[in-house]
Amino acid sequence: MTLLLIAAGFLIAGAFLTFLPRRHPAVMAIASQAIASALTVYAILPVLLRGEVWDATWVLGFPLDVVDTHADALSAFFLVWSLPLTLLGTIYAAGYLKLSIAHGRHGAQHFALLNVVSLSFLIIYTAQNALVFLLGWELAAIAAWLLVIWEYRNQKVRFAGFNYLVSTHVGLFALVAALMFLHGQTGSMDLRSFSAFLAVPSSGRNIVFCLLALSFALKSAFFPVHSWLPRAHAAAPAHVSALMSGVIHKAGLYAFLRFTLLLGVPEEWMGWAVLAFGTASAVFGAVYAASQHDLKRLIGYSSTENVGIAAMGFGLAYLGMAWHTPALVAIGIAGGALHLVNHAATKCLLFYTAGAVHTATHCVDLRRLGGLLRSLPATGALMLGGVLAISGLPPLNGFVSEFVLYAGLFGGGGHSALANVALVATGALLAFVAAVGTFAMLRAFGLAFLGSPRDPSLHVGPEVGGTMLLPMALHGVAIVALGLMPVAVLGSMGPLLALFGAAGSLGVVTSAVAPVQLGSRVLVVLLATLCAGGWFFGRNARRHVTWGCGYPSGTSRMQYTGSSFSEQLIRMLATLLPQHSRIKLSKRIFPRGPGHVELHVPDAVEGRIFEVLGRGEDLFVRTAAAVPEEPRFAFAAGLGVVLVLIAALLARAS
Amino acid sequence: MSPVVLNLFGAAVMPWLVVGGINRTRSLWTGRRGPPILQSLYDVVRLLRKTPVYSTTTTAVFRLGPWVGLAAVLASVGLVPVLGLPPMVAFPFDFVVFAAFWGLGRAVLILGALDTGSSFEGMGAAREATFSTILEPALLLTVGALGAVTGDHTLAGALRIDPTSASAAVAWLVSVVALTVIVLAEGARLPVDDPATHLELTMVHEVMVLDHSGPELAAIQTASGLKLALGVSLLATLLSPLGRSEHEAAVVGVHLLLCGGIVVAIGTMESLIARLQFRIVPRYLMVAVIAGAIALLATTWQGAPQ
Repeated sequence: MTLLLIAAGFLIAGAFLTFLPRRHPAVMAIASQAIASALTVYAILPVLLRGEVWDATWVLGFPLDVVDTHADALSAFFLVWSLPLTLLGTIYAAGYLKLSIAHGRHGAQHFALLNVVSLSFLIIYTAQNALVFLLGWELAAIAAWLLVIWEYRNQKVRFAGFNYLVSTHVGLFALVAALMFLHGQTGSMDLRSFSAFLAVPSSGRNIVFCLLALSFALKSAFFPVHSWLPRAHAAAPAHVSALMSGVIHKAGLYAFLRFTLLLGVPEEWMGWAVLAFGTASAVFGAVYAASQHDLKRLIGYSSTENVGIAAMGFGLAYLGMAWHTPALVAIGIAGGALHLVNHAATKCLLFYTAGAVHTATHCVDLRRLGGLLRSLPATGALMLGGVLAISGLPPLNGFVSEFVLYAGLFGGGGHSALANVALVATGALLAFVAAVGTFAMLRAFGLAFLGSPRDPSLHVGPEVGGTMLLPMALHGVAIVALGLMPVAVLGSMGPLLALFGAAGSLGVVTSAVAPVQLGSRVLVVLLATLCAGGWFFGRNARRHVTWGCGYPSGTSRMQYTGSSFSEQLIRMLATLLPQHSRIKLSKRIFPRGPGHVELHVPDAVEGRIFEVLGRGEDLFVRTAAAVPEEPRFAFAAGLGVVLVLIAALLARAS
Repeated sequence: MSPVVLNLFGAAVMPWLVVGGINRTRSLWTGRRGPPILQSLYDVVRLLRKTPVYSTTTTAVFRLGPWVGLAAVLASVGLVPVLGLPPMVAFPFDFVVFAAFWGLGRAVLILGALDTGSSFEGMGAAREATFSTILEPALLLTVGALGAVTGDHTLAGALRIDPTSASAAVAWLVSVVALTVIVLAEGARLPVDDPATHLELTMVHEVMVLDHSGPELAAIQTASGLKLALGVSLLATLLSPLGRSEHEAAVVGVHLLLCGGIVVAIGTMESLIARLQFRIVPRYLMVAVIAGAIALLATTWQGAPQ
């Protein structure tokens, strides 16, 4: 614990030192984060692997009094990758922001804020006191907001940042309400003491569960409260999108698991609710990702998809706890947790490559990009790896965690036939999500990197520099390693599963995954052999233009576009994806002048929410307008009756 | 002979026979004698000796895609009871791995098509990717439902369902429908895709490989023939009336007879009907999903297997 405190000290000192003049602001941030990451990982490994538990108590003044910190396998599991990934993001930022800083932008605050993000992880993942937890929570939220609005001169960026700020604070209200309720019931701010109230089924517990779930869902951008995420991620610098999506918002899922531990045995409906919302998030995230034109927006929607998939695992674990089947708990927790790590590794990589595209072309619009693989070979190769990994294709990492979840869903672990039917049907939905996610990612990569350039006015710069490529390459190594050695990763989850009472069932997971690991390795050998042979066959190949099916004067503008690629899918899913189109075409047989077609898929969920809110506001306004200006007797009497009724209800309730 | 050798032998021989058999049936229906049964094998050998031509637009993705696709389909051979005998490897939920291997094959084919920058190939890629969003859930739903009925969660085991009880019979019947739809669509056959069509606008699989030539085209054709053969084998396993522990020779014999029957049925069907409109195809593929859902619901009649 002392080491973590020292790490926090380094981060704070580093944050201040970035403001030193005449020095690149990134140097101090990177140095302090490197030290802090090394200290944290070194300190936390015994907790993660051997299940040690650290408790420390710090006696402070009012209003916190005594602050307890507590690190167990759950904290360790999140800490062990959060800080190093933030470090990689900071290194990437040094390259990404180089041009802005060279042009006189003062980058020190930005790098200091990245340190603050790391610091907030140390606080959130070890806090045992609800107020301290809130402090870390808010620190992360504010820091993320300030990081998002780096290009604050752009009004759209400010709006996206404000949208994020409001959304995250709506979630904060729910969280504060839940914590106040718990404080009211237990008279304590210690998270452990909440368990006395939370472990007993009651309507109060249900309310707290719903409030907490809402708050954490907002943090991690679950359906139906996801719409701030694609907006914020399209506006933020690439490394901020990456860190928010891959690392910072995992805090929502950490908090969810932390409160799950306090919940004791959850009720069955909670499990179904988590599973349903996870599935809905996955489905909506995937189908919206398949229809976007903005590369970063697309990758942002894919985050909603993937946290949804992880939540499906946690839903399974809830059901397993409710049914007292430790095997299902182990599969759910291990699958969900592995998917979180996989998503963090892959999503950061994807955002970094999108940032590299932006650096080289100043554009992330899929309607204008094309053929980038020739000018950005390293970025393209890394993005291809990320695309295949996030699509859940072997032999990369996303496949393994999805396999674990399939094993839970298809395994028939339900306690009734109907429950099993629901689980298998959810498995089929997961397959749908995977297929649509693959569609979205192949479309994004194919449009941006393959084919020929769509827009001749787009100037493509040189391949990005080493400071940006290094973090990307490390992520690339991570997705391959996680894909080929999943058993080792899952095998280290024993202490984590022990927290959820499923220590004995770790073998269920590892033995299910062992043949998959073997299969992936066999596939790699086959791939290597055949690709080497295939490369040999093509050594004397001739070159010719693409076959135009008999039409000799095709241009690169005639390539299939993003809209045309997803047209049939969007039409198939018209109920989920209402499409707005602006079409101006000549009706003459021989058209004069250019036509114009523009297809957009706006977020229907967000639109619907605002529609309902707007209707509520209308109702309120109309009611308010109906109230007479001078309170007359009838109105006053009516108000009195309502007040008495409310008072009576309150009296009965308490 | 050990099952591994038999399975590998089957996987090496079946693709050419299946493709040749279908073509022969089609020829006979149209009153021609048709090419030799092994013509597709001769074609592949001929293509392997050729020098490929690459489009100037393409990159290494185009060049390596076919080989990755072939490797993915080859890796899936291990999970399929090619000759009706137990597969080389079987483990719980291996059908997920099977679907993922085929998914990888499809993904690299789509990428290769997009790499040429041709609008026709982009069109084929879009169709293939769109249809896969229905086919993949349908496959997992059907096999998952059969797993729930039989309590055996391996691909080969779930397909060896014993339709003795009423609910198992219903599940068996609808999964035959579902698997037929899936196998025909995955194998790029009618009524979703016509391998013999000559108009690029109406192709799915064929249009994606327009620019591939020589050894790459050989790899693609081998992979797609193998895919079709594996699909036919899966269908034959599902249809096979012999239970789990029969005499090996009888199992193989019945399996081969069934495969022959399926091949003739596919050829006949392809001779008699036309390709569906692309507008209709998603609805047609949904038949597989609905059939899988019925199979799943059938499990509630008998209660959960313990």
